[in-house]
Amino acid sequence: MKNMHTNGNNGSQTTPIIEISDLKVHYGDKSALNGISFDVYKNEILGIIGPAQSGKTTLLKVINRTLEFTSQTSIEGSVKLDGVDISTIGDVYGLRRRIGMVLPLPVGLPLSIYDNVAFAPRTAGVRAKSELNEIVERCLQQAALWDEVKDRLDTLGTKLSGGQQQRLTIARALSHQPEILCLDEFSIAVDPVTTMRIEDVLDTLRTEMTILLVTNLVQQAKRLADRTAFMLNGDLVEIDTTDVIFSDNPANQATYDYVNGNFG
Amino acid sequence: MNSLMTHPNPRQKFVLQGIALVILGAVFFPVWNVLKKTHVSDVPISSVARVPDPLSNLFNDLYFFLSISFLAILLGVTCAFYLQEWLPETNWVRRLVENQVSILSGIPSLLYGLLAVLIFLPYSGVIQKIETVSSDGNVGAASLKATVFQGDTTLFYAMLLTFVILVMPRVIKTTQAALRSVPMPIRESAYALGASRSQVLMKHVVPIAFPLILAGGCRAMSCAFATAALFIGVCIWSHAPQSGQMTGGFVLFLGGSLILSILSSFLIERYSPVPTRNT
Ligand SMILES: Nc1ncnc2c1ncn2[C@@H]1O[C@H](COP(=O)(O)OP(=O)(O)OP(=O)(O)O)[C@@H](O)[C@H]1O
Ligand SMILES: [Mg+2]
Repeated sequence: MKNMHTNGNNGSQTTPIIEISDLKVHYGDKSALNGISFDVYKNEILGIIGPAQSGKTTLLKVINRTLEFTSQTSIEGSVKLDGVDISTIGDVYGLRRRIGMVLPLPVGLPLSIYDNVAFAPRTAGVRAKSELNEIVERCLQQAALWDEVKDRLDTLGTKLSGGQQQRLTIARALSHQPEILCLDEFSIAVDPVTTMRIEDVLDTLRTEMTILLVTNLVQQAKRLADRTAFMLNGDLVEIDTTDVIFSDNPANQATYDYVNGNFG
Repeated sequence: MNSLMTHPNPRQKFVLQGIALVILGAVFFPVWNVLKKTHVSDVPISSVARVPDPLSNLFNDLYFFLSISFLAILLGVTCAFYLQEWLPETNWVRRLVENQVSILSGIPSLLYGLLAVLIFLPYSGVIQKIETVSSDGNVGAASLKATVFQGDTTLFYAMLLTFVILVMPRVIKTTQAALRSVPMPIRESAYALGASRSQVLMKHVVPIAFPLILAGGCRAMSCAFATAALFIGVCIWSHAPQSGQMTGGFVLFLGGSLILSILSSFLIERYSPVPTRNT
């Protein structure tokens, strides 16, 4: 878009991994995204902020093609992943495995802790027990959950506390070694301490993958994101480095108001 | 989204109810016709008259009902899965079937019982005949009941049909509701992990929906059993009031119906998914 320079922890990294151009989404007659365009760079944390109904979740669902399960939706424009239009990808399951997704509320699949994390590798064809053990341990370590659950991997994932479950879903999202990790308001059901722990986890992951962080806590974007996008009612108002968005003079007055909490 | 299906406008509703009536008629008319041609003398009395042990027949009947109910439930569940998981909401077959199901499942089961009594009772002259035939002084109501179902294969199939029509729409309806009740984020999470549709269904949707599907099956069967109890009761009381006792069959079906309905309430109470915020 208008501003191509990045800063933050990744210095000069500007290879686009996702290119979104003129993306429009309708639910029935209702427009949820009215033609937005921007790039996501490799190994950056892109914060996406905006009030409710602005289309943030919809955007993530387009990227991993789970919007297809909502009936009567139409998508125009293109989303390219590594230069390939995702709508032309035949192996949609493979596509989804390249993208990790963490939903607002922890969704414990009706499986044990171990099976929750081993689910994606298994569907991808990993059978060897030792390999699965390794993946489960690595992902639970990465999600800062291993120490708390290593003695009870067989219990149901839904028996964990809310904060633990959310870390479990992060471990699960990491289990298929995604290139891109999308988090949709992950801290909505998590206490501040756990939120900080997860933020630390994300901070360490930024070297390995690209992170799309949708958040309703603007300070969270300020703490973590290299760049931040501000969305409003299906429009991309502004995308720029986090420093600029949170400075006293972002390009758009609405951005300033939203970030400083005197919006609406 | 479902408003399209659950709220047809009044004219559509009228047409749909017409179709439902025609379907009902189409099912019952041939049965009625066959019945009219069945004379008492056609009934293979010999096969009925040597009913040796009322109790074993009782279990035969129960077994028969269980297997029929089970088949009807299986069929209903399969239909529901196909409608809910494979056909898009706007598909006309799905909309038609869902409308029919919603109308048919709304008919009180009592009505089916009355229908069964109305159709079958005139032909239960069979029973009196047999009573005189096997005059060994031990014509209890149990063997009398046995004759109702074993006297004539037509009666047999008519009953079967009644129960299928009674059970299936109920099962389709509750199974669809159970599938719908599985929170969308669970499906989305599983899909986001790269699972295919069948993996999502078998590993996530079915385990969550299963108790509710079972509850729906129990409730439908409970209705069927209650109808059977009514039918048996009316047969007994109108033909052998002097026996003055309820047969084991009547008690079994009534008790079964009660237990099943309690079980289904318990399952619903215990396993209804907690509503999840749908972002
Ligand atoms: N399944 C759906 N059917 C119809 N409309 C929908 C559906 N999901 C979202 N929408 C509409 O699309 C628009 C964008 O919704 P979306 O969930 O993407 O917003 P959001 O930015 O994620 O909001 P929030 O902060 O509340 O999560 C809203 O106007 C919403 O009403
Ligand atoms: Mg959202």
